[in-house]
Amino acid sequence: MSTREQKERVELLQGTLDLLILRTLVLGPTHGQAIAKAIELKSDDVLQIEQGSLYPALHRLIKRGWISVEEGTSENNRKAKFYELTARGKKQLQVEVSKWDKLAGAIARILRPTEERE
Amino acid sequence: MNRKGKQLLEDLDQEIREHIELETQENIGRGMSPGEARYAALRKFGNVTRVKEDARGVWIPVWLEQLLQDIRYAFRLLHKSRAYTVVAILTITLGIAATTAIFSIFYATLLVPFPYPEPDQLVVVWSMANGHRRQVSAGDFLDWQRDNQVFQVLGAVRGDQFNLSTGARPEQIEGSYLTPGFLDQLIGDKPFMGRYVLPEEAVPGKDHVVIITHKLWQRYFAGDPNILNKKIHLNGQPYTVIGVQPPGQPDRLGRQLVVPLAFTPEQLNHDAWWLVVLGRMKSGVSIAQAKADLDRIARRDAELYPADKGWGVSVEPLKNDFLDRDVQTGLNLLMGAVGFLLLIACANVANLLLARGTTRHREVAVRASIGASRTQIFRQFLIESLVLAGLGGILGIGLAWVLMKVILAAMPPYMLLSETDVKMSMPVLLFTVASTMLSGVLFGCAPAWQAAGLNLNEALKEGGRPPSADRQRMRRGLVIAEFALALSLLAGGGQAIHSFWNVEHVNLGFRSDHLLAFDLPVNEGKLDGAAKINSFYREVLGEINALPGVTHAAVSEGMPLLGVRFGMPFQIAGKEMEDMSRRPVTGFNMVTPQFFNVYEIQMLEGRSLTPEDEEGGRRVAVVDERFAKQFLSGMDPLSQRIVMNEMVPGAMKLGPPVEWQIVGVYRSMQNGRPEAGNFPEMDVPFWQCPWPQARITVRASIDPDLLAKSISDVVQSLDPDLPLSNLQTMDRTLEQVAHGSRFLAFLFGGFAGIGMLLAAVGIYGVMSFAVVQRTHEIGVRMALGASRSGVLGMILKDGMVLTMAGFLLGILGAYGVGKVMHGILFNVAAFDYWGFGVVAGALLLAGILACFVPAHRATLVDPMKALRQE
Repeated sequence: MSTREQKERVELLQGTLDLLILRTLVLGPTHGQAIAKAIELKSDDVLQIEQGSLYPALHRLIKRGWISVEEGTSENNRKAKFYELTARGKKQLQVEVSKWDKLAGAIARILRPTEERE
Repeated sequence: MNRKGKQLLEDLDQEIREHIELETQENIGRGMSPGEARYAALRKFGNVTRVKEDARGVWIPVWLEQLLQDIRYAFRLLHKSRAYTVVAILTITLGIAATTAIFSIFYATLLVPFPYPEPDQLVVVWSMANGHRRQVSAGDFLDWQRDNQVFQVLGAVRGDQFNLSTGARPEQIEGSYLTPGFLDQLIGDKPFMGRYVLPEEAVPGKDHVVIITHKLWQRYFAGDPNILNKKIHLNGQPYTVIGVQPPGQPDRLGRQLVVPLAFTPEQLNHDAWWLVVLGRMKSGVSIAQAKADLDRIARRDAELYPADKGWGVSVEPLKNDFLDRDVQTGLNLLMGAVGFLLLIACANVANLLLARGTTRHREVAVRASIGASRTQIFRQFLIESLVLAGLGGILGIGLAWVLMKVILAAMPPYMLLSETDVKMSMPVLLFTVASTMLSGVLFGCAPAWQAAGLNLNEALKEGGRPPSADRQRMRRGLVIAEFALALSLLAGGGQAIHSFWNVEHVNLGFRSDHLLAFDLPVNEGKLDGAAKINSFYREVLGEINALPGVTHAAVSEGMPLLGVRFGMPFQIAGKEMEDMSRRPVTGFNMVTPQFFNVYEIQMLEGRSLTPEDEEGGRRVAVVDERFAKQFLSGMDPLSQRIVMNEMVPGAMKLGPPVEWQIVGVYRSMQNGRPEAGNFPEMDVPFWQCPWPQARITVRASIDPDLLAKSISDVVQSLDPDLPLSNLQTMDRTLEQVAHGSRFLAFLFGGFAGIGMLLAAVGIYGVMSFAVVQRTHEIGVRMALGASRSGVLGMILKDGMVLTMAGFLLGILGAYGVGKVMHGILFNVAAFDYWGFGVVAGALLLAGILACFVPAHRATLVDPMKALRQE
């Protein structure tokens, strides 16, 4: 990884990781490494997450009851933990998304006031 | 943490490994070499340890996690330096055990709430004049009961001995006369079986019903299920059993049966005070209101009855009222003593921790330099102390239980009320936990404070030698405090032991060997009238005097050491009669003439009582020195007459005033319990003022124990129903009387001894440690030419400054302790030079040795070696 590349990546905002995990899991249950991969791929490698930080976040979401965990088999035929969105998690995702939209909109308006006026 | 979290955390390691493995495979797929691929995967994953910690943090609150970590760390450290840990824990154990054991007795005696409903409504009512309480006359009680507006129930009680003779063996049993409603309405007790006394049963003639305790029912009647309506014999009279009290609290009372208190017409007067009155106030009524209401009635009665003139009432909450004041003071003092002991233990452990802190400052510096905050270090040290305290507390509770049993076994039986239930109850354990935590914080704060305040640069630079003046100051302060505390505690202990010595060596004023005494609890109503009483006792004395081995025998009401039965208001003849409440009171004893020979009491003036002082003759009396000094100073005692109301044999009332001519003065003897003090006494011929129940003392020419059998036989032959009670030699009584002061000496002395040991060890430890730390400096001084004695002098002077400061503070403390203890001790001054001197000397010696030994050792060290120690 070159220094240039590093600069183009965006540090993850505190708390947004939860949102990204929930969003990723909408597509179906999957294991930790795949979640990390999916987040990176979807954002065209712009969002840089320290993959390890995924796990405390997953535990936090389980504790809140937004996702559940089950034993499953990964693509290379090894036992792995599969994380799945719960009904409460789905509802929470909607809340989080609308919250995020509001926040993003607000920030956008502040950063580009002229565009907004047009 | 729940099960789900626990499972997730357990599997996390495996999950992370799998994650990195997958990532590595993918990297290899992209064409990296296996080594590169793995490195890239690891880098992308980030700090594994932190991930795991963060994940744990989701499930376990951070503070709890840290706390557990600190506790684990503390245990590791304590385990590493085992010797230090054992000493510290044992010290705390001693402190906590002593505190808990005494508190368990303190709590059960003074603090435990009564097991009755609405205990706040319960009060005791006394007659009161000039600050003196007295019991209540039947006339007053009935007036209060009838006319008051503040009580739900007002009840009266009187204790007595009953001769229970239903089964095979007759037994003397304590019981009480109670007014109806006392148990159910006033106390709020429900019968286990049957019922309690009805109002119509409190009438002479219908009052032969009895309620027994569960214990008596089990013990004497073998739990007979058909006990109700059975007839039993009390004092030779048939009584019907109507109820059994519930098990538990009533069983712990000494009194085991209850009969109705039925007033006879002759008892209905205002002259004799023999009832204890208890009341349950109406809800919402305050003690002040109750007192005001009864005072109103008392004022009215004072107008009507001469004996009530000047008397008001005192209404007091029912609370330890029946516990001896001295016992209360003693318990308070013991609590104080163990408090001091605990403080000394804390100071010791604090010192130990401080001393160890100096060897640990390297560790602290390293921890601080890699990022531990001051708060974290402070917390770590405090938690270490709390872990120490906790371990000491746990052991302490065990030791306290043993100590409590030992104390209860050594305690004289009369010291606590019989219903007191001493045990390791929940409140006691809570107290222990609280005092353990408090001590942990107390002895933990100083070292924690120091560790947290450590100057990093200095500590790391100095390479292991801590000269911090601040540290020294704190430890010097502790030494002074410890010295002062120990001195105060020890002064108290010294006083208690001195008091015990005095009791053992008191000048009794009579000869106590070869004496045998016993009570004759003649049944009420059996000997009615002076003539019958006198002829009965003449017969008893005649038979006993005829026994071989008996030198003299005498009948008396009171007895040296145990006090007299009556306290009588009196006046010197020739002045206008005053109200009963304003007359002075003297101890009043009725004795047969041989009394003074039996006890070998010395006459100082006039004559003793003689066989010629018979009934119908001139009323004569002898008084003791104290009486003469206190009431007859400046007069010739032998020309004085004493006026007091006549006693009616066996009746709870007084007759008209009569005069007693003083014919002799005898040398005062120890007439009360040594710790309670003596009182003026006046003795009149028994024959001129007889009483049905009396005590007989025999002077023997042989071992008095050998006489017990023949004397019992003689009394049995005169009256087969009459048991001898309290039969024992005077020497045995003397020993029992000394039991109280021996117990105090044992407890205070024991605690003071432990305190002294702890303090001496603590002082020695701190001082010698300080000297050891100066080994380097001593080396330098000696290398530069200081003489050995000069160095010794310097160090001794330093130590003595501390010792003296502690000594001066200790004198203040000892004076305070002495002032409080004074009341319960026998013939010991508030500031007991004798006890204090011994104690202070011992502590000073410990201090001097603590300076001298290590200082001496330091001067022997080769200066070059000391300097190279770096």
